[in-house]
Amino acid sequence: MFRDKGLAFKLILFILVCTVSIFGVAFAYDYYTSRDTVLKNVEENAANLTLSTVHQIESILKSVERVSLNTAALIEQQSFTAPELVSLVETMVSRNREIYGMTVSFEPYAFDPESLYFAPYTCRTPDGRIRSYPPEYFAYPYFYWDWYQLPKELGRPVWTEPYFDEGAGNAVMSTFSTPFYRHRDGGNRFQGVSTADLSLEWLADVVRQVKIYETGYAFLISQNGVFVTHPHTELIMRRSIFSIAEERLDYRLREVGRAMIRGERGFVSITDFVSGKKSWLYYAPLPSSKWAIGVIFPEDELFADVNQLGRQVLTIGGVGFLVLAFIVAWIAQTITRPLRSLADTTVAIAHGNLDIDLPEFPSRDEIGKLTNSFRDMRAALKEYIQNLAATTAAKERMESELKIARVIQMSFLPKQFPRLSHRYSLEISAKLEPAREIGGDFYDYFLMDSSHLLVTAGDVSDKGIPAALFMAVTKTLIKGMAEPGMEPSTILEKVNRELCLENESMMFVTLFCGILDLETGEFRYSNAGHCPPILLPSRETPAWLDTPAGFVLGVDEDSSYETSGIFLAPGDGIFLYTDGVTEAKSASNNFFSEQGLLELVRSNGEASADELVHTVFSTVTDFCAGVPLFDDVTILAVRYRGTKHPQNGGLETWK
Amino acid sequence: MEVIAEKLDKALKLKVKGRMDAITAPDFEKECAAWIEGGENDFIVDLGELEYISSAGLRSVLITAKRLKTNNGRICFCNTTGMVQKVFSISGFQSMFPMYDTLEEALAHR
Repeated sequence: MFRDKGLAFKLILFILVCTVSIFGVAFAYDYYTSRDTVLKNVEENAANLTLSTVHQIESILKSVERVSLNTAALIEQQSFTAPELVSLVETMVSRNREIYGMTVSFEPYAFDPESLYFAPYTCRTPDGRIRSYPPEYFAYPYFYWDWYQLPKELGRPVWTEPYFDEGAGNAVMSTFSTPFYRHRDGGNRFQGVSTADLSLEWLADVVRQVKIYETGYAFLISQNGVFVTHPHTELIMRRSIFSIAEERLDYRLREVGRAMIRGERGFVSITDFVSGKKSWLYYAPLPSSKWAIGVIFPEDELFADVNQLGRQVLTIGGVGFLVLAFIVAWIAQTITRPLRSLADTTVAIAHGNLDIDLPEFPSRDEIGKLTNSFRDMRAALKEYIQNLAATTAAKERMESELKIARVIQMSFLPKQFPRLSHRYSLEISAKLEPAREIGGDFYDYFLMDSSHLLVTAGDVSDKGIPAALFMAVTKTLIKGMAEPGMEPSTILEKVNRELCLENESMMFVTLFCGILDLETGEFRYSNAGHCPPILLPSRETPAWLDTPAGFVLGVDEDSSYETSGIFLAPGDGIFLYTDGVTEAKSASNNFFSEQGLLELVRSNGEASADELVHTVFSTVTDFCAGVPLFDDVTILAVRYRGTKHPQNGGLETWK
Repeated sequence: MEVIAEKLDKALKLKVKGRMDAITAPDFEKECAAWIEGGENDFIVDLGELEYISSAGLRSVLITAKRLKTNNGRICFCNTTGMVQKVFSISGFQSMFPMYDTLEEALAHR
């Protein structure tokens, strides 16, 4: 994916990805740890705050309860006249700020056997004054109201559910109602209730004092889940926590509501049913009234500090990231700039510009070392190429010299047919193919006098230049030593003695030398370790020529040689060759062999000298197809045609 | 080509196997030179398993023979067969060096 991008890019990417990952993990860990810590602190604070509010409300409720309880106790122990009772009620209300209103209500005819209703009532007016109602003012069946019925039935003091007291208090209130009894008819008979009203508006003011962050707030619910106080006053008395949970399908809120009315306490995450924001709720019971208080902490405000800190850290991180990116980019550029220039230079070197200057880096770091290595490499390459050029030049020179040498060597070989007298008729043909440019094989034929033709073929041990030089010497010696009337063996002995002088390298020559008397057809020959020629009788099968034994030339100066002789009839011939023919190897590693050669010559027994030479040469070449010649190949054929029909025209020419 | 040297009581036996041509002949020459250097001056060269000998091979034989001669030593050949026998015969080496049919015969002449 990034294969084509530069090192700098990869370095920047790698470092920044790593940095961001590490920073991200650290930040996330820090953020959530901070949140947990904040949450713990908040829970603790919320508990304290809530409990102090609970305590505050409880103390208010207690004081309300106390008034009701004390009044009931007084009525049980003392007898009051109607005005006294009215005065008592009035005094209680005016003395206790917490109380909104109060009544002492009797059972029918319990206070006055004449009167069905007896319930003096005092309450506060919206402008803060005290207003009392006479006992007969409320002439309606108050006995069926909760505040009367519940304590009577339960036989104990009771906080009523919040209700709107229309006509009397004209306010939303909750009433603490205590039953009182008197001994009548031999038993403790229920006589009525003593109540104390708590204005929920006033309570709401108290609860409203509980300030939680910006939008946090507290609320109270009754034991049925109905809102007793809430900042949104329209909820009070009208809605319960359960109706809201149902409406919003918020089962969690329902669970929380149940826990609240069970008198439990807890700290939970909820969605605020007013604002719809994620919030935390701390709830606790108000033991005396069986109400519960809930305190809402909006989460965003709760974690405002943490979030702000997080934003600051992120900002610092972001700025740091940019700074780091800049620094890394700068470092990467610094590192890769020399690399790039080095790369450009090496491209130039690769294209053959070895004189280009490598960039200079004073540092001894890896790039400095690399540059030095390249410098050394360039120097070595330059030297190598110079050497190569020199070597190539030398090789070319040598090759061209070898080519010239080959031309010279080939020019040693006789090209023209000997200038025979018209009396004689002769065919002679030869072919020499060196294994390398030049070789150690040679042949020669020349007239020693008008009627004697010397024919020779030789093979210098080894190949190449030394052999070629030795061959040249030998051939020159033969031509120089051969004098008319000399026997072939004498020529060999003389040449041998010359060759043996200073022959430290033990080069030697195998040589066959024959002299044909063109007048008589006598062929006298001698052999110095050369492979025997093939006799080509015109009327018989070709066969090996019987040659006298003789040691190779150039080794033993005392070597002596013998001369043998046969008479050739017109049409008879001699076939000379070197071991390059019989030892020619095929691709399948077989030798051409003496037998192969003899058979080939036999099957061409009637051929002219020229035909025979070409047939043998092409057969050997085909035999070696695909394999380079291992040794020089030399073939020479002579066919004596006698003296009867002197002519020159039909003679074979050397190619 | 492979040269297996074996020191006998009277002489050093060198058994030459394979092909002795322009490429391998220098090895034979070096091997012999090393033995001569080491003081050996009586060589019996067993050519029984030599398949082929070229003129370069013959030359290395000559060089070795010359070295031995300088050290008053001598060289002989045995077991020549086939093509090698023929080359020795044609080149005249057969008449220049003592040749024996078997190793025992060669040893008998020591």
